[in-house]
Amino acid sequence: MFTFLEANFALESLQKFVSSMGFTAIFADMQWGNLVMILVAFFLLYLAIKKEYEPMLMMTIAFGMLLTNLPGAGLFHSELFAGGHVHWAEFADGAGLLDYLYLGVKLGVYPCLIFVGVGAMTDFGPLIANPKSFLLGAAAQAGIFLTFLAAYAMGFTPEQAGSIGIIGGADGPTAIFLTSKLAPELLGPIAVAAYSYMALVPVIQPPIMRALTNKKERQIKMQTLRTVSKKERILFPIIIATIISLILPDAAPLIGCLMLGNLMKECGVVDRLSKTVQNELMNIVVIFLGLTVGATATAEAFLNAKTLMILAMGIIAFGIASACGVLFAKLMNCFLKEGNKINPLIGSAGVSAVPMAARVSQKVGQEENPSNFLLMHAMGPNVAGVVGSAVAAGLLLSFLG
Amino acid sequence: MTNFLTVTGWGWNEMIWATVISIALVFSVLVLLVFVMKLFGVIFAEKPKRKMTKTASQPVEEGQLHEEQIAAITAALKLYKSALHDRESEVLTIQSLKRAYSPWNSKIHGLTQLPDRK
Repeated sequence: MFTFLEANFALESLQKFVSSMGFTAIFADMQWGNLVMILVAFFLLYLAIKKEYEPMLMMTIAFGMLLTNLPGAGLFHSELFAGGHVHWAEFADGAGLLDYLYLGVKLGVYPCLIFVGVGAMTDFGPLIANPKSFLLGAAAQAGIFLTFLAAYAMGFTPEQAGSIGIIGGADGPTAIFLTSKLAPELLGPIAVAAYSYMALVPVIQPPIMRALTNKKERQIKMQTLRTVSKKERILFPIIIATIISLILPDAAPLIGCLMLGNLMKECGVVDRLSKTVQNELMNIVVIFLGLTVGATATAEAFLNAKTLMILAMGIIAFGIASACGVLFAKLMNCFLKEGNKINPLIGSAGVSAVPMAARVSQKVGQEENPSNFLLMHAMGPNVAGVVGSAVAAGLLLSFLG
Repeated sequence: MTNFLTVTGWGWNEMIWATVISIALVFSVLVLLVFVMKLFGVIFAEKPKRKMTKTASQPVEEGQLHEEQIAAITAALKLYKSALHDRESEVLTIQSLKRAYSPWNSKIHGLTQLPDRK
C-alpha cells in the first residue's frame, strides 16, 4: 500500500529523471543549435558510410560531433581549453572522456603519431628517382599562402587565416596540427573542410586540370623512372629530417615523425615496429583524433557565418593549390628538353592528398592517352606535397605561433 | 619556438611580406632538397653494369643454361600454355524459356510450307 510520502518520493524521482534527460534540455532550453549539429553529424555519417568520403576519419569526426552535441552528456567541455590554454586546475572538477582524449590534439601528439604511420606507408622512391618533383610539391603550396591573404581580407585574424590557408595543403594531420596551435577555436570546421575536400579531390581537380592544359600536353609520355637503390631509400629519411629540422625547427615534429616512420619501413630491420605504426598505432590514433576533433564542433563553434566562410575558402585554397601545381609544371616544360618534358597533369598531385591526387592525374592522363601511365610519376609530387605542406605549416607556425 | 615577428598589430604590409617570404622560403627549402637529392643520386644510385665490349655472350659454365636456351624454353612454355584448353565445369545447364504466343515468332509463319503435290 502506497503512502502519500512514498507516492511523493516516486513522483519527485521521476521529475528529477525527466529533467536530467537530454530531450528536456533540448526543448526546455530551446537548444536548437545542438539539434542542428546532431543533424549535421547524421549527414556526415551518411557521407562517410554510404558515400565512403574519407570514412576512417569522417565517421569518427561525425560521431564525436554527435556525442558533444547531446545535451547533458558532458563528454566535452570547451571551457577547459578556453583562450588556447589547458586549464589543468579545472580538470579535476569533472572533465569528460573526450576532454582527456582531446589533450592529444591540444598538445600536438596525435597528428605527429599519424605522420609516423603515414611515413611507414609512403614510398618515396618516385621522389628520389625524380627530385624535380619537389618543385611541383612547392608550387602547390602557393595555394596555402594566397588563401592566407584572402582569409585575412575577409576579416579573420592572421592566426585564423594561417589555419584556413593550410586546408590548401590537403593534408589532414598537418591542418589539425597547425590549427590546434594557432586557432583551436576553428578546429572543428577546418578539420571537416580539410577531410571533405580531400575526399572530393576526384571531383574538384579534373576540371581545373583540363582547363589549364591542352590535349597535346595531357598526352605527354614521361620517361621511365630509374631504379632506386636500398641505400638511397634508407638515407633519404635521415637526410631530409636532418636538413629540414635544421632549417625550420618548427617543422621538425611533423617531418621528424614522417621520416621516422619511413625509415622504419625502409631499413628492413624493425618489421614489427613498421607494421605496428602502419596498423595498430595508426588506427588507435585515428579513432582518438577523429572523435576529439569532432567533439570541438559544438553548436556555438560551428553554427556561424565563419564556418561557411571557412568551407568556401577551403575549396578556393584547394583549387588554387591544384592550379599552381599544373601551371608550374607547364613553366618547367619551357626549360626542359623535348624528351624530358613532364606531363602537367602530375602538377596537381603536389597538393598531397596521398594517393588520391596521384590517381586523379593517372585517370585524367589515361582519358587522353590510354597507353600513358602517370601514376608513379605523379607519386613524386604527391609525396613532395606532404613534405611541402609540413614545411609550409612550420613556416606559418614560426611567423604566427 | 622561433618567432621572427609578433602577430599583434599585423596589418596588410606584414601579411603581404609574410606571404612573399613564406612562398620564397618554401621554394628555397625544396630547391635545396632537389640539389641534395641530385647529388645523393649521383653518389648512391645503382650504376648500370658495364656493357660487354664483345657482342658474343659469356661462356656458359657446366650445369648452367645459355640465354638463348632460356628464351627458347620460355617461348615454348608460353605456346604450350596458350594452346591448352581451359578446364570446363562439365555441368550442362538448360535454361527453359517460355514465351507467350505471338505471330511474330510463330513457326507456322516462319517455316517454308511444303509444296502441294497433286
